[in-house]
Amino acid sequence: MNSLPEDFDGLRKLLNLKRYEQPPPGFFSHFPDKVITRIEAEGLVGRAPWWRRWVRELDAKPLLACAYGLVIVGLLVIGLGVTQSGGPDEIASPALASPWFAQAPPSTLQVNAQVPARQLTDKTASESSVNPVFTGSAPSSLFDVNRLRVERTSYNLP
Amino acid sequence: MNANVLEKAPMASVAPQPAVDPREEQQLVKRAKAGDMEAYGGLVERYQERIYATIYHMTSNHEDANDLAQETFIKAHQALKSFKGDSSFFTWVYRIAVNKTINFLKQRKHRIHMSLNDLDFNAEHDADFVALISDKTPRREVNLIELQERLNAAMQKLSEIHRLVVTLHDVQGMSHEEIGKIMDCNTGTVRSRLFYARQQLQAYLSDYLK
Repeated sequence: MNSLPEDFDGLRKLLNLKRYEQPPPGFFSHFPDKVITRIEAEGLVGRAPWWRRWVRELDAKPLLACAYGLVIVGLLVIGLGVTQSGGPDEIASPALASPWFAQAPPSTLQVNAQVPARQLTDKTASESSVNPVFTGSAPSSLFDVNRLRVERTSYNLP
Repeated sequence: MNANVLEKAPMASVAPQPAVDPREEQQLVKRAKAGDMEAYGGLVERYQERIYATIYHMTSNHEDANDLAQETFIKAHQALKSFKGDSSFFTWVYRIAVNKTINFLKQRKHRIHMSLNDLDFNAEHDADFVALISDKTPRREVNLIELQERLNAAMQKLSEIHRLVVTLHDVQGMSHEEIGKIMDCNTGTVRSRLFYARQQLQAYLSDYLK
């Protein structure tokens, strides 16, 4: 039996051409995901967490990833536009923007905020439970207890 | 012809040894055994081209190669617990692929069809191809598609075992020892099968080899 390489040199060159027979472009970049998806679909392993499946899906479908990216960028741009479209008049002052004020109707807040503290402490001023009394400036925070003072008020019962 | 096509490299072959760090492979196998699918995906990614190429050259059909390659890795995952590490994971997966492909081919015996739509036309610029269709070749009118068809038809005339040896050695570039491990036979058997297969092919393709 003679199996010297030169005997089959032409044949080996011809067989080398088979290396050029290739699958479609991108075949191997999606192949592992297809295998994993089939393994999971056949219930051979526990399903991967949702985020891993999502990332894998994005990996397998670049167009979907681009679409997600565009949607996120679009939402960011819209959000930025909405934020910047509000003029200086529309932006509430820091004091009024505090949670403490957010619980009261704006009209009441404006009126009460403009009432001098001295008038509020005056005995002639009408004080009741539905007319809160403020002394001094409004607290900067709901939890700023040092600056929030509560005064006794009288109730005129019949 | 598209210039980009010319820069494409041939499908993974002529790779006697997988360029993979054995310790890294062991780590991936260990993690995959513990249920880490990401690690198993890493193993698939490493060997997919070689496994696919072997199956493709055995079947000469892209769809069949795709299905069989997927089934190979699914089967390997199912049997992963039984993998003791006596051989490399690469050899072990190869055996699964080879067994699956041979079984498939036995079932498909009379259903031979070619799928050469995915042929990489870069082959037209291959020095070997140019030499084959030079003035010295009696079949000067031969074109690449026809040559590939004849080549695949000749391959399909071989028995599965002989086709496998030719594919692993002459197309994939594996050593006799490695083929012996995959086919579970000694190197002498590999050599004799290879010699017989080449003789057969030479006879089938005599027009192109004069």
